[in-house]
Amino acid sequence: MVFHQPGNLDEVLKLIHNLAPSCRVIAGGTDLLVSIRQKDNEWPEHLINLADLKEIKQIHETEEEIIIGAAMSHDEIVNHPLIKNHIPLLAEASRQIGSQQVRNRGTIGGNICNASPCADAVTALIALNADLEVCSVNEILRVSLKDFYLKPYQTILKPNEILTMIRIKKLQKGTGYSFIKLGRRNAVAISRINVAAVISKSKTGVIKTAALAAGSVFPVWKRIWLAERELIGKTVAESLFMEAGKITAREMIEKTGRRWSTPYKEPVVATLVKRALLQASGLLLE
Amino acid sequence: MARYAADYSLPHQLYGCVKYADYPHAEILNIDISEALKINGVEAVLTYKDVPGENRFGLIPNIRILADDRTRYLGDAVALIAARTIEIAKQAARHISIKYHKLPDVIDPRESLKEETIKIHEEGNLVVHHKVLKGDIARGFKQSVHVIEQDFSTPAIEHAYLEPEAALAYPDEQDGIAVIGCLQNIYTSHKVIAAALNLPLAKVKIIQSTMGGSFGGKDEASTLVAARAALLAVKTKRPVKIVNSREDSMIQSYKRHPYYLNYRWGCDQDGRLLAMQHDIIADSGAYCSMTPFVTWRSVVQAAGPYRCPNVKTDVRGVYTNNNYTGAMRGFGSPQVNVAIEIMMDKIAEKTNKSPLEIRLLNGFGDGAVTATGQKLSHDVSLKQVLTIAAEKSDFENKWRQNRSKENQSAPVSKGIGLSCSYRGVSLGAEGVDAASAVVHVQPDGSINVSSGIIDMGQGAQTALAQIAAEVLGVSMKRMRFLEPDTTRVADSGPTVASRGTIMGGGAVKIAAEKVAELIKEILAEKHKIRKESLLLKNEKIETKSGKRVCTFTDAVKLCYAKGTPLFANGVRYIAETDWNEKTGRGNAYFTYVYGANVAEVEVDRETGKVNVTRFISVHDVGKAINKSMVEGQIYGGIAMGTGYAIMESFIQESGMAKTINFDEYYIPTALDVPQMESFIVENPDKHGPFGAKSIGEPALEIVAPTIINAIFNATGKHIYNLPASLEEVLLGKKLRRDVERGSLSCKPEV
Repeated sequence: MVFHQPGNLDEVLKLIHNLAPSCRVIAGGTDLLVSIRQKDNEWPEHLINLADLKEIKQIHETEEEIIIGAAMSHDEIVNHPLIKNHIPLLAEASRQIGSQQVRNRGTIGGNICNASPCADAVTALIALNADLEVCSVNEILRVSLKDFYLKPYQTILKPNEILTMIRIKKLQKGTGYSFIKLGRRNAVAISRINVAAVISKSKTGVIKTAALAAGSVFPVWKRIWLAERELIGKTVAESLFMEAGKITAREMIEKTGRRWSTPYKEPVVATLVKRALLQASGLLLE
Repeated sequence: MARYAADYSLPHQLYGCVKYADYPHAEILNIDISEALKINGVEAVLTYKDVPGENRFGLIPNIRILADDRTRYLGDAVALIAARTIEIAKQAARHISIKYHKLPDVIDPRESLKEETIKIHEEGNLVVHHKVLKGDIARGFKQSVHVIEQDFSTPAIEHAYLEPEAALAYPDEQDGIAVIGCLQNIYTSHKVIAAALNLPLAKVKIIQSTMGGSFGGKDEASTLVAARAALLAVKTKRPVKIVNSREDSMIQSYKRHPYYLNYRWGCDQDGRLLAMQHDIIADSGAYCSMTPFVTWRSVVQAAGPYRCPNVKTDVRGVYTNNNYTGAMRGFGSPQVNVAIEIMMDKIAEKTNKSPLEIRLLNGFGDGAVTATGQKLSHDVSLKQVLTIAAEKSDFENKWRQNRSKENQSAPVSKGIGLSCSYRGVSLGAEGVDAASAVVHVQPDGSINVSSGIIDMGQGAQTALAQIAAEVLGVSMKRMRFLEPDTTRVADSGPTVASRGTIMGGGAVKIAAEKVAELIKEILAEKHKIRKESLLLKNEKIETKSGKRVCTFTDAVKLCYAKGTPLFANGVRYIAETDWNEKTGRGNAYFTYVYGANVAEVEVDRETGKVNVTRFISVHDVGKAINKSMVEGQIYGGIAMGTGYAIMESFIQESGMAKTINFDEYYIPTALDVPQMESFIVENPDKHGPFGAKSIGEPALEIVAPTIINAIFNATGKHIYNLPASLEEVLLGKKLRRDVERGSLSCKPEV
């Protein structure tokens, strides 16, 4: 195994261009190192370290967007003032990932590209309608996160491309949000189900916009359009949110079929969607 | 600085690993090691044919150091490899090819005894059948107004000690062999390894390293690692180190016995027990580790600390092709306590009594007679601990409030639960109960204490040193506790059964008293006073009337000057138990301890998530030698028991372990452990040093049913199959993955 420590993004892209597919990139290593160890230490021929690249290890803002470098750790995101002020939903989701040690090393880019269906940050990013910047030596592409996934653990990234930036629109003042994670224990748990909701409503409580996403529910990440459509134009109410939850559960069964876990997930995903909407709309305090 | 077994290394050492069984149940037809031997860096590959002595050991000697006739679970080792690096050793393991004749797997212990089921061992699939019979069970049920019958199950769980098994074996001088290991029971390991190597015990030396936890788990599982390292060391004439990864440890090691229990109880109008019938199956897995003793404790304690004239209990241990099962903190009591304490709440419900009332009505008092016919002659403090637990938690009020419709139909419901138990202390009629210790006061007055009792992290070193310091009237600054090795301290039996303080402490006290006696004799002679009038206290020797004779240090110097080295051996031996296996009657244990627990929970009725919010644990320990350490045991017991109650389960599918690291085998984190309070009750017992009894296992053994009873108080629904997982609480059943995880089958190769 050859370990590469490029000094800037250009060098990374050139290395990948020349070495793919016999190379892997590593940022925090919280997924890659574990999977290498599980395969009896079968290392890729080349390992390219992204961890110290300034270009993708920063967060900045434009008037409308927050732009997060893919190598930012979850812990850095949780504590960053721009995130806390403009997209607190992402801070909330990132705060619940793994353990403090995993959050110190694991990166948002890694969480997105590993493409596990239970990734906590991705649920929030889908609900936030995040866009991604994907780079190769030839071009920079902007793709919507919702179009990024092909199936579990598989994205549209080509061997010579890497994810560099995540772009998220700032939440408008008065927009409600919620992230709920259900695991088998209260920390260091893989999400059994997670749900993110973003809602804006009029002064009279009529829902103007709604974004819903759920993890460990669908094989491929997606917004829950049918449930969102049910909400828009209606007045916030527990019964309405329960209906949105039931639609989500039906969608899940539609997409995955009835599986061994369905008897549990069907009622619970509905409940969690309801709770997330109650929280996001201010009807239920945590 | 502590040194664990894996921290030891020697020049020229080799690294060992095992070749695992490919099938949980198969005849081994041929093992071809020729390709493995060709790999550069491989120094030895061994199969069962290379074991010079006994390949099999155990209570019923059927545990194989190396699989011989068959594989019986997937953690079996078919071959052993020593190589220059661990990577080479593992590569060699992949080049060993084995020819098998596959046999049907026995997975469900309830199927194991059926006529048509294949026999896993020559002697059949029944490991043991213990019985207890008291009174006339049929008459008891006839007289009963209420009869309640219920099935229960408890899962296999992993000990989850922080330090996986490890050993370093090396050829020693004078044709001996030494093994440094993390072993809960060095004296058993000693015998097993010497027999395997065909060497006399005197040529084999087992050195105890600092241990990173055990909870009953480092008996046979660690002995196997040590024995395998020793075989390779003898073969290669070089030091060989084996360090289990977490996955190795999970795959190889024994678990807590899963139990299937049928309980049938009858009582009168008021809830007084008249008949108790128990039919229990324990999964012993592939081999017989501690099954005969684990199930014996179950049969003795299956009726709980409750008076009942008619009792019939049957406990059968059976073989399967699952991981073998053995000792784990609690040792056969946590399983039966789950059933007993849930049954007690059901009787309370039936007779309109509170959980406290029903236990006070039926619970043992002084002089009670147990299900095995033993008359209890110590302070029976069951009602004392129950009352304290109820008062400290405001149990009765909260229990009534939580039964409101409003609470039981809220999305998140509150619950409070109560449990109690009695527990036989130490080994009981299992076997010879003796422990040894050495107290050695050095010429400058500093003191070495050693005992065959192992410190696994529970603090035995401190407690035993404190006992010696107390007897010698000196401060703890003088004390150094030495890890034992088999050449220095005589066989002390295993460090199990919560016997460390009562037996090891008893031995230390005797040794220290012998030393004190030597000091008194020398001083009495010099100062021409009666030695009976001398006291050792506050670092001095003084007369009973308070006259100072000399400092402890001066007394020690004088003794050495007079040719009296201060070195003594102490042996504590208690033989007050008896047992008739045929009738299931006898004085099972020489004394018992009593405990009561209260748990408060919040149950999310829409997701099945249980949060244990508060826990109160009351235990009569006889006498707390070290209060902080008693509390530590209690808090640790609560944390461990919380895992047993709501999340832990070692999952195997067709014999294949599925939860082999902590990413999937969940134990409670700090955020899952409740706020905890402990209350120590002290009714000194004549058997223990300064009256001390036990706490290690009592602290754990009723945590789970306490939490389960609290869930009932919150929801009105009983949980009968542990753990109270999300699915169990919401749906009343477990859901098992019947296909490979959908997401994983998509996972690309690295």
